[in-house]
Order: sequence, then C-alpha cells, then structure tokens
Amino acid sequence: MNAALAVIRKDLRVVWRDRVGWLTTGAFATASVLTYTFAFDLVSGDVRPLLPGVLWTTFLFAGIFASSQAFQREVEQGTLDAMLISPVPASVVFLAKVLSSVMALLVIEVALLVLATILFDTTLITLELTLIVLVGTAGYVSLTTLLSTMGSQLNSRAMILPVLALPLLVPMLIGAVRATGAALDLPAGTAPWTLLLVVFAAWSSLAGALLFPLAVER
Amino acid sequence: MSEALIVADALTKEFAGFAAVLDVTFALPQGSRTALLGGNGAGKTTLLEVLVRLASPTRGTSRVGPADVDEVERRTAVGYLGDRPMLYEELTPLENLDFFSRLYNRPDEARVEELLRAVGLWTRRHSTTATLSRGFHQRLGMARALVHAPSVLLLDEPETGLDVAAVELLDATMLMAPGLTVLASTHRLDRIDHWCDGVLRLDRGRLVEDTASRATVTPPTAATGGAGGAQ
Repeated sequence: MNAALAVIRKDLRVVWRDRVGWLTTGAFATASVLTYTFAFDLVSGDVRPLLPGVLWTTFLFAGIFASSQAFQREVEQGTLDAMLISPVPASVVFLAKVLSSVMALLVIEVALLVLATILFDTTLITLELTLIVLVGTAGYVSLTTLLSTMGSQLNSRAMILPVLALPLLVPMLIGAVRATGAALDLPAGTAPWTLLLVVFAAWSSLAGALLFPLAVER
Repeated sequence: MSEALIVADALTKEFAGFAAVLDVTFALPQGSRTALLGGNGAGKTTLLEVLVRLASPTRGTSRVGPADVDEVERRTAVGYLGDRPMLYEELTPLENLDFFSRLYNRPDEARVEELLRAVGLWTRRHSTTATLSRGFHQRLGMARALVHAPSVLLLDEPETGLDVAAVELLDATMLMAPGLTVLASTHRLDRIDHWCDGVLRLDRGRLVEDTASRATVTPPTAATGGAGGAQ
C-alpha cells in the first residue's frame, strides 16, 4: 500500500513537472470542443444529442495520447525496469500507474466539461456525469496502459496502440456515450449503459493487473 | 567457504533461437567483488538482466540474494544499475532517491543524504535531474541502486560516461558498504584490480573463465519456495 501511494505521488509530481505534455493534451481537447462549436448550429439547432459523442471522442483521443506518452517515457528512461525489479508486485505498479493517470486526466476532463457547459449552454457538471466520466476514464486508461506496455517491446509500438486499442474500446465507447446521453435526459434506450461501463472498467482493470506481469516479461 | 549470494546453474537465455547466454554456471560467495568481462555481444548485459529478473531464462536457474528468505526479502537484497541510470528526469536527485527508498519500504532521510554526499550531489539535490550532466546521472544512478542498502549489487558498465575522478568516486562508493557482494560488467581492465577479487569472462554467451566461484550453494528450504527456482 505504501509503495502504491509512493508510485501515485511520484507520478502526479512528474505530471506536474512535465506540464508541456499534459498541456498539449489539454490544448488538443480544447481545440476539438471549439471546432465542434463552430461546426454545429448552436443558435437554431438542438445540439444536445451530439454532446455525448463530442465529449467521448475528445476524452478518448486526448486520454490515449496522454497516458501512452506517460508510459512510454517510463520505458525509455528505464524507470519501469527499476520498479519491476523492486519487491513491489508488477500488478500493484500497474494499478498505481492507472490511478495516477486517471487522476491527471480527470482534471483535464472536468475542465473540458466546464468549457463545454459554457459553449453549448448545457449543464454538464453534475455528479452523475462526473461519475460516468470517472468510470469510463478508468476503463480506457487501464486498457491503453496495458497495450502501451505490450507495444513498448515492439518496433511497431506506434502502430499497436491504435490498431489494438480502438476496436477493444468500442464497447466502452458505446456504453459511455449512451450513459452520458441518459444523464442528459436524452433517449438512450432501456439497456443498463452505466452498468456496462462499470463492468468494462472492472474487466479492463482486472485484465490489465493480471496481464501486466506477462506483458513486461522479456 | 561462505554462502553463495549470486548463483547461476546451467543458465541459458535465447532470443529467437540465438543464445545470448549459454549454459552458464557459477556461484559467487557473500562479500565477493567480481568483474564480469567480455567483448561487445558476449552476453554480459543479458546475463545481468536474467539475474536481476528483468528477463526470464530459457533454461537453467539462478538466484541472487540469500537462499533462506522469501521473495520480497530477496528482491530487497538486490541493487541494480543497468545500462541506463533508471532515473526520473523530471524529479530532483533528492526526490528520486526518496521515491526509490519508499519503493523498497526503506525510507531513510539520513541514508539519502549520506549517498548524495558520497556521490557529490548534495549541493545539487534540488536541481532537476534532467539538468545534470551524464556523469552526474550515472553517479545518481549508483546512489539509487544503493539507497535501500542492498547486500548484493549488480552493475552493468557503471563507469560509462564518467571521468577519471568520477570512476574513483564510484569505486569508493561501491567499497563504502562492507560485506556488499558485487558483480559488475566492465571494459575498464585497468581499474579492476582496485575493487575486484575474481573474474567471470564470457565469450559469445559461454563462460570461458571463472576465478570467482568459491562459494557453497545453500539448498533451498521448503518455506522459502526454493532458492534454485528460475528467476
């Protein structure tokens, strides 16, 4: 537990020091939302049905970029190896890294919700929506962190993440978009979308924790 | 003879059919300081990575650390400096050592200060590691490997990027822990007399010279899960 807290604290400190990488992520996310506002007719049309898609495509692409970059840096600096030879189980290292990435991304995502609230004139800062964003982020960060690990052993590391991650993330994306729509009182069908999202997040975290020790093995 | 703290038994590591390390057997006693020699591609780095458990062996077994302890204690007993210093560039030297000491559940401010002073980085303890020279990186990497007070130290060409004064400092740092068992790969044959008392020499993955193995191999106990288990 102490070691996991040490990894989280160290990761957040590194994120704070390496603001350029995360500011790039924030800038990309902001530019995406701004682009959507110019693309949609905000005066005469009801754009609320489009908001779940706008938010999750932005979260997903910004998040994949940020979390994979952060992990790649650990590999290149050799610090991942330094953690793996320590007495801390590899699964604990994985879960701690996922938690710290989720925390850092949540800051960007909540800021984006505030921005979208202003630009689209729709209340997006609610407890329900924040929880949906939290669970969805945990789901995709777990999966992309695991795939980044597998990719780091290959020469084609730049290819493996989009090629493998995006198809695997489709169920999460459907659940997240539908659950977000339901939270905005949009027609979302009767399926338990939030439950699907929770199951996906639990599955990807557990699979990541179990497979990470194998993924880092040489 | 003292107990062996670094043991390899018919250790082999293959990559896609190519044997980087082939049928290597040795047992290095507690407190020994051994130079691992060999040309480029001889298998030194691969052997160290298998010993430190960054790579799994294709065949054979190895153990680094005492035989009669559990896995957590055995890992805690090992310090490793690889071909990179393994440091967070965004953190300061003080923060790097503090983090790694906590990772081993051995936070010790006095130990961190002692090591930073020993490697000549105390005055730069609050500088970002990225701003340090390559030589200082290597010194800090050495301090990182020692921060949890290991009983075994594995080093992969630790003098890389260091000037003569820094190499002497590195030797002194290595010698400051009495009883420390050291296995270090090196190309600096002119310096090995200063710190080593035995040699392992690899050639194309095979062990061709061993003047270091003088230890008795303690058999594993059931409670510790087996010292000879593949690592």
